[in-house]
Amino acid sequence: MAVALTVPRTMAAMKLAVLRNSMSGQKAGSIVMGGALGLVLAGGTLYAAFQTGDLLAAAYAVWMLGWIFGPVFAGGGDETLRPEYFTSLGLPPRRLAAGLLVSAFVGVAPVISLLALSGLVVFGVRQGPAAVLVALPAMLLQLAVFVLLSRVAVAVMGLALRSRAGAVGAGLVNGAILAALGQGWVFAVALGQTGGIPAGASAAVRYLPSGWGLAAVEAAGTGAWGRAGLTLGALAVLVALLLAAWAALLARRAGSVKASARGRRPMTAATATGAVVAKELRTWSRDLVRTHQLTFAVAYGVFFAAAPLVLGWTAMLPWAGPIFIIMAAAMSANLYGVDGTALWLTLLSPGAADVRGRQLAWLLVVGPVAAALALGLTSVTGGPWPMVLALTAALLGGAAGIVPLISVYALVPGIDPHRRGNNPLRSSEDDGAMTGLAYAVLVLVALTGAPAAVAAALYGWAGVAVGVVTGGLCLWGFGLLAQRRLHAQGPELLHTMRTGKRPPAKPGSWAKFDDLPKREQIITALCWSVGAIPLFPQGIVAGFLKANGTEDRSWFLALHMPEGLQWPVIVFMVLLGLGVYGLGLWIPYRRRTP
Amino acid sequence: MTPALEIVGLTKTFGEKVAADHVDLTVPPGSFYGLVGQNGAGKTTTLSMATGLLRPDGGSARIFGADVWSDPSHALAMVGVLPDGLAMPERLTGREVLTYLGLLRGLAKDVVAARAQELLSVLELDRAEKTLVIEYSTGMRKKIGLAAALLHAPRLLVLDEPFEAVDPVSAATIKTILRGFVAGGGSIVLSSHVMALVEQLCDHVAVIDQGRVAAAGPLEQVRGDRSLEDTFVGLVGASDTGSRGLSWLSR
Repeated sequence: MAVALTVPRTMAAMKLAVLRNSMSGQKAGSIVMGGALGLVLAGGTLYAAFQTGDLLAAAYAVWMLGWIFGPVFAGGGDETLRPEYFTSLGLPPRRLAAGLLVSAFVGVAPVISLLALSGLVVFGVRQGPAAVLVALPAMLLQLAVFVLLSRVAVAVMGLALRSRAGAVGAGLVNGAILAALGQGWVFAVALGQTGGIPAGASAAVRYLPSGWGLAAVEAAGTGAWGRAGLTLGALAVLVALLLAAWAALLARRAGSVKASARGRRPMTAATATGAVVAKELRTWSRDLVRTHQLTFAVAYGVFFAAAPLVLGWTAMLPWAGPIFIIMAAAMSANLYGVDGTALWLTLLSPGAADVRGRQLAWLLVVGPVAAALALGLTSVTGGPWPMVLALTAALLGGAAGIVPLISVYALVPGIDPHRRGNNPLRSSEDDGAMTGLAYAVLVLVALTGAPAAVAAALYGWAGVAVGVVTGGLCLWGFGLLAQRRLHAQGPELLHTMRTGKRPPAKPGSWAKFDDLPKREQIITALCWSVGAIPLFPQGIVAGFLKANGTEDRSWFLALHMPEGLQWPVIVFMVLLGLGVYGLGLWIPYRRRTP
Repeated sequence: MTPALEIVGLTKTFGEKVAADHVDLTVPPGSFYGLVGQNGAGKTTTLSMATGLLRPDGGSARIFGADVWSDPSHALAMVGVLPDGLAMPERLTGREVLTYLGLLRGLAKDVVAARAQELLSVLELDRAEKTLVIEYSTGMRKKIGLAAALLHAPRLLVLDEPFEAVDPVSAATIKTILRGFVAGGGSIVLSSHVMALVEQLCDHVAVIDQGRVAAAGPLEQVRGDRSLEDTFVGLVGASDTGSRGLSWLSR
C-alpha cells in the first residue's frame, strides 16, 4: 500500500516543483493571465448556481467542453509530467495513469475548475443539508471526470493523428461539435419552446457527463436517495472507465507520429520564391496536424453556416466560405513558430523572399477551398453575390497578410517538430500565448473584411471591387512589413525560438506583461478581464436600453435604481469601466524600461 | 592574406551570464581549425555570432573580409554552416531539402539537381529517398546538414559539433569529405569537446573557457609536447573531482 501511494505522491510533488519553478519565468505571464480569466468564469458559474439548475448545468457543459477541446486546439494540454519520463521505471500502465492523474490535479486549471464546481455545494445549500452531503463527493468526482476527459481526448487525438483518415475524421467531428455549440440557439429554437431553456435542452445538459453531479445533488434535494446514490455511483464508474481507457491509451503512445507517406512528387520549382512555396505546400499536405486544422476549419465553416437549415433558413449558407477563411487563418496564426528553429536557414539566405512564398502557399491551400465554398453555396441560395464575393476576396488577402505579420511580431516560440515527442498537438510550451494569438488573428482578419462588407451592404457590386483592393493591399503591405521585420529582427526571432524565451524589452518601451512583478500581473490581468463588464453591459448597453425605454431590467444594475439615479449610475459604470481599463494600461506604462 | 574568418572582440551577455567575453580569433585560409571547450564554454554562442545567427552585443566578424553583420549577402554567400541541433524543413525528403536550399541560395535548377544527386550519394543518403527529415536518425540529420552546408560551394565551413552522436561509419564518411574540402583549398572551423578528434583532424586549435579564448594557434604550438587533453585540462583548471569515485558503487 505504501508503494502504491508513493508513485502518485512523488509525481504530485514533482509537478508542484515544476510549476513553482516556471512561476519565476516568462510562462508565469500566461499562467496569471489565464488564471485571472478563469477566476472570472468561475465567478460567473457561481452566479449561475444562485439562479436555476438549468443554467448551472449548461455552465458545467461549457466547462467540460473547454477541458476537452482546449488542449486539442491550444498545444496539446498540460504536459508538465510526460509518460515518457517514467518509462525506465517499468510501472504497470494503470499505476502510471493513476500517478499521472493525481499529478494532473496539481495546477491552476483544476483549482479554478474546482472553484466553479463548488457551485454544486452552493446549489446544495439551497436545497437542504442532505444535498450538501451529496454535493461534496459529486464536486470531486465531477472534477476527476473533467480532468480525465481532457487527458483521454488528447490521447485519442494523438492516435487519430497517426493516419490521414484519422486526422480528417477528427477534424470533421471537432468542427461539427464546435460549430453546433456556436449555433446552439438554432437547436434551442428548433426544439420548439419559446422563452426560457426548453425542456429538451434542460434534460440534455443533465444527461451529459458534466450534468451528473448536479443531477445527484438535485435528486438528494428532493429526497430521492436512490437516484442520488445511483448517479454518484455512475460518476464513479465513469471515472474508473476513463482511467482504464487512459491507461490503455498511454500504453499505445510509444512511437512518434509517422509522417504521411504518400507518393513524393519531384520539386519542379525554379526560383527562390517557388522553392518556398513548394516547401510550404509539402508541409501542408504531409503534416497531419495541419491536415486536421484545415479539415476542422472547413467543417466548422460548413456546419456553422448550415446549422440554420434545421429551421429551414438558408440565408446563412453562403457564409461558410468567409467563416472558413477566418478559422483557417486562426489555425495558422503561429506560422513561423510551428517551424521552430528552421528559421536559421532563412537567415542564411538574406536575399530570398520567404514571406512572399509563404503567403502564396497559404493562398494556394486555402483559396481554392474558400472559392469553391463561396461559389457553390451562394449559387445554392442564389445570393447575396456581392457580399459573399467582396468578403471572400477581402478576407483571403487580409488573412494572407495578417498571418505572417502577426507571427513575426508576436512570435510564440514553438517546439521543434522533431522534438515534440509523442504528442503531435504539442507545438509550443506556452499554450496560453498560442490561444491568445489565434483569437487575435480571428479578430484582426475579420476586421480586414469590414470595409468590403460595408461597401457591399451599401453599394452592392462596388463592394467586390473594394474587397479586391483591400485584400490586395493587405496582402502586399502586411507582407512587406513582415518581410522587413524578419530582416531586421531575424536573429532575435531565432534566439526566441532556440531558448523558448522572448527577448527583454528595449529601453523606452512599455514593460511587457511577463516582466511585471507578480502582484501587478494579477491586477493588470484582472483589469483586462473585468473592465468590459461595467463598461459595456452595465454602462453602454444599459444606457442604450434606458434610452429606448425598455421594460426588461434583467441584470442591469442601473435599471433597478430609482428613476433619478439611473443615468448617474450608468455614467458611473462607464467611467468605472474606462478607469479599470486605464489602470490596466497604466501599470505596464509606469514600469516602462528606462 | 585575408583570413577566412576573423573574429574581433565578439561579446554576448545573456542576463547575468557572459557567454562570450571579447573573443578574438583568426582563421587562416586553408586551415582546419578546431574550437575546443567544455559544455557551456561559449563555442556555440561564438560560432552563431560569426555566422549571422545571433546578434552580438559588441565586436565584429568578417568572412574573407566581408562583414557578417553590415554586409551579410556577401559574407554569408561564402560560408556553409552546420549548427548543432537546429530544425530543418522537417517534412521534406533529403533531396527536397537540398533542392529547396539550393534555389533559396539562388543557384540554377539543373546545378542544384546535379549537386544534390552527388551529395546524397557520397553521404549515402540516397538509400532513404522517400524518408522525411523528421524521421532521420541523428547521424543522418548531421549528414543532411553537412550536405546543405556544402551545396552552394562555400569557401569556409563553420561546423558546430559535427560528430556529436554520429556512428563511426558515418563519422568516417564525414571526415573524408572534410579532409577533401581542406585539400581543395577550403577552410573549416569546427567545434568539439572530443580532443582526440580535434588532434586527428585539425592543424589549428583554440581553447575556449568561460567565454574567453584561453589559448589559440597552430596545434603543435598550443599543445607543445603534451597531449591536447592534458593541455586542455591544464588550461581550464579542472578540479580533482574526476579522480573521486562514487562511494556506493565500490564493493
